[in-house]
Amino acid sequence: MDTGFALEASEVSKVVEGPDGRLTILDRVSLAVAHGDSLAIVGASGSGKTTLLGLLAGLDRPSSGTISLAGERLDQLDEEARARLRRSRVGFVFQGFHLLPALNAEENVMLPLDLDGRDDARERAADALQRVGLGARRHHYPSQLSGGEQQRVALARAFVHGPGLLFADEPTGNLDQRTGGGVGDLLFELNREHGTTLVLVTHDAKLAARCARSLQLREGRIAGDRE
Amino acid sequence: MRPLAFAARSLRREFLHAELATLALALVLAVAALAAVATLATRVERALVASAAELIGGDLALGASQPLPAELVAEAGRRGLATNRSAEFPSVLFAGDRSQLADVRASDAAFPLRGTLEIRDLAGTLREVHAPPPGNVYAERSALVALGVSIGATVQIGGRDLVVAGEITKAPDNGNLFRLAPRVLMHIDDAEASGLLGVGSRARHRLLLAGDMGAIEGYATWAKARLPDGARITTIEQAQQNLRRAFERGESFLRLAALLAALLSGVAIALAAQRFARRKTSEVALLRCLGARRGEILVALLLELALLALPACLLGLALGLGLQQLVLGLASGLLPGAAPPLPWGPPLAAFAVGLAVLFGFAMPPLLRLRDVEPMRVFRRDVGTRVRRFDVLYLLPLVVGALLVFYGAGNMRLAGTLALGFAAVALATFVLGLGLLALVRRGASRLRGALRFGLANLARRRALTLLQTGALALSLTALALLGVVGPSLLERWRADLPPETPNWFVVNLQTDQRDTLRQRLESLGASNLNLLPLAVGKLVAVNGAEPRLQDPEERREAADRGQGEIRLSWSEALPEANELTAGHWFDAGTTGPSASVEQVWVERYGIRLGDTLTIGVGEREIEAKVTSLRKVEWDAFRANFFLMLDPGTGASLPHSHIASFHLAGDHSEALATLSRDLPNLSLIDLNAILDRVRDIIGRVSAAVSWVLGFSLLAGVLVLLAALAATADERRFEAALLRTLGAHGRQLAVAVLAEFGALGLLSGAISVVAAAAIGKTLAGSVFDLPGYAPPIVPLAVLVAGAALLVALAGWIGTLRIARTSPMVVLRRG
Repeated sequence: MDTGFALEASEVSKVVEGPDGRLTILDRVSLAVAHGDSLAIVGASGSGKTTLLGLLAGLDRPSSGTISLAGERLDQLDEEARARLRRSRVGFVFQGFHLLPALNAEENVMLPLDLDGRDDARERAADALQRVGLGARRHHYPSQLSGGEQQRVALARAFVHGPGLLFADEPTGNLDQRTGGGVGDLLFELNREHGTTLVLVTHDAKLAARCARSLQLREGRIAGDRE
Repeated sequence: MRPLAFAARSLRREFLHAELATLALALVLAVAALAAVATLATRVERALVASAAELIGGDLALGASQPLPAELVAEAGRRGLATNRSAEFPSVLFAGDRSQLADVRASDAAFPLRGTLEIRDLAGTLREVHAPPPGNVYAERSALVALGVSIGATVQIGGRDLVVAGEITKAPDNGNLFRLAPRVLMHIDDAEASGLLGVGSRARHRLLLAGDMGAIEGYATWAKARLPDGARITTIEQAQQNLRRAFERGESFLRLAALLAALLSGVAIALAAQRFARRKTSEVALLRCLGARRGEILVALLLELALLALPACLLGLALGLGLQQLVLGLASGLLPGAAPPLPWGPPLAAFAVGLAVLFGFAMPPLLRLRDVEPMRVFRRDVGTRVRRFDVLYLLPLVVGALLVFYGAGNMRLAGTLALGFAAVALATFVLGLGLLALVRRGASRLRGALRFGLANLARRRALTLLQTGALALSLTALALLGVVGPSLLERWRADLPPETPNWFVVNLQTDQRDTLRQRLESLGASNLNLLPLAVGKLVAVNGAEPRLQDPEERREAADRGQGEIRLSWSEALPEANELTAGHWFDAGTTGPSASVEQVWVERYGIRLGDTLTIGVGEREIEAKVTSLRKVEWDAFRANFFLMLDPGTGASLPHSHIASFHLAGDHSEALATLSRDLPNLSLIDLNAILDRVRDIIGRVSAAVSWVLGFSLLAGVLVLLAALAATADERRFEAALLRTLGAHGRQLAVAVLAEFGALGLLSGAISVVAAAAIGKTLAGSVFDLPGYAPPIVPLAVLVAGAALLVALAGWIGTLRIARTSPMVVLRRG
């Protein structure tokens, strides 16, 4: 059932068993993100940002509550079906870049296309790398690229298959201010070009401010919602 | 996802990583060791089997108390096999007024089909020949000496005059160890014409066959169903007890060596795969995050391993075949005859076993990657919980056990190794936990780098136990290969010391004992051993007719008739005898008592306390079984299945049997002795002793080569595995370095950690190798009284433990030379 939202969470909680008993990481969080909208999730370390991102992206299951991604109820899908959904509809950018060290830049960018069984993976990856300004370095391995370059490769990988939704976890967290600023610019440019819905977890107030909305998490609860 | 393309892309860059390089190297060495050892073992075995064929004169022998049916010969011809028909019987040779009992073989001209018959002819030259033409005989020197004739003279057998055309210097001997008389070879036509093979003769008819092994096996199966009553088939494996034992021991040694090499590689592969899987965890999490299915990822990982494994196996195969060719070339003088052609079975099997070892030992950590949560891309601690038990961990055990049972080819060897290694694993677990508890409690009292090193052990409890177990198993295997194997070989060679009796005297009368003793002493004989000998019959066991336990043996015995038995008695338990139950006769022994050897215990199902009825002449004695014995049959001594208490024995009509050692050629003196004491039969064991010694020497030399090669493979594999695990510590070492630790502190931390690992695993493996060696000596190699050399074992293992510590240290040396930042950035 399509509710018109790209992403919708309702009363989502996450409770884990800790050494001192049950620990509530997220407590009845509800949110909705419209198609093409951008949402920043901000909060202190341990406030539950990353857990929420993982749940919204279907990487983990909530203890209670429901999440719909691209009109599909994630709780009604098994892990393999959720993987299929991620493969076609979702892109990721991580704080730690997460490029595969054994693959070169182009092959890293090809990954989502390969996973989807596309035949034009190499050409599209080359184009994507060109777009992020690394066309000349496409045969370089991650260890031969700087942090900023690695994150640009990761951005190319995130957008190459035209996902409807992009999840970014502290995309500038590992970069210096200047490089981080450049990567942030690129992220928003690409987002605009592709009309992607963006969910961004960040500490960086400037980056968060560039999103249409910002959600403040505190101890697992929504403490504020800025339009 | 295209798993193959993905695997190929990943491998292109990853094959240089320490763990994949280790994995490939371990695989290369495993396949090389397996291929070299299995191929070499097969070729050596075939060469030895060929030499066994030389002993019986053919590849297969059929024997019967009547002439064998013509269809057996005809069928052999149809199958393209060469045949030789002969008959063996005792007969007396005459020359003038002298006579000599001889062991006669009457044969057609084809004898021998395999092996060499060598004679010294009239001109004194040695020639390789076949059976003599009609009208001629060949005889052994002792027969000629006893008859007082030389080559060219005429002797009579069965009333026919035959010319001695040569003196037999070398001949296939049917695997008959104790001949009562010298050998004489004549043409079968002469024997038939003289009536020696007629009705009532005691001849044993033989049909020897030779040809392609496949055809021989086919024929043996065909013939088995058509054999007349009482006929039996002797394969070359059954040819001769002593030599068979030598082959079996040799084969067990070879199999042991190959098996240990493969297990060592398995251990290295398991360690490397563990590390490979750990490094791949983040990658798998990312792929899951990007939407890859579990199955796709697993297939890609397995394909990556397969892409690495295939060339590694091929390289190992080439290396193994090259090495065995090299060893064969270097050891060509050791093999009897030319090396048999390269067999294809063992190398192909090595290839397959290599792959089985790879996947068996590498699968569990790879399969565990299925469980990696995609959330791990955000948080490293997600999904790293170690499940307490996983059925996957049994896979290497199953593969290892299958390898042991497949490779050992002998349940005792397999059982001893399996139990031994299981005990090592258990001891590691129990003692390892103890050590960790000690470390946890004691480390806080230590200072600096030493504490850091030891605390590392306690922090990674599962990994520490795994590594200690792997090290203990590897060191046990190395100790078995490097120390126990060679010392078992040494013990085996010592089985036939120089003073081993090489002459037997039978039919010695009581009043001739002193004369014999004096005459032998004057000749310089040593090791004289005299035992009384009575001939009787086993009439009943517990009042019932003795019943053979084995149906096949029963059928054969029915044909032979319940034959005579030889029995003896002695105040003391004779040498080379070991009591297994009850006690030896002493002053307290009342009434007729008997001691029974293990073979009879099994053959007739005799137990301690049973009553045996023994007929000697007209008398029947009822003796109670008061002890059971095990005899070392290949000790070249007179030994008896049945021995009586001296009181009972002395009252029986008897002669004596003597054995002694006499060096050098004393044919003339011994001939004079047998003329002076004409009832004596002198039996020359020199030829058979030489042959057994020769075989033992050759087999054990070949085994030494194989052991040495497996040992080398084992050391290389161990080093490779250690290099990979030392890599584990690089991150911590880099961290310490960043915090300002200097080189010496790093070394102390690593040496403390690896030293503790090495010490514990070393101590376990010394005990384990000694225990396994002792058990193998008793149950597999039949070398009782073997004592494992503890000092060399301890030295080897201490050296290996030192190596472990050094390998860890060398791993950190590299860090001292590179920037810690580089290491830390790589994670």
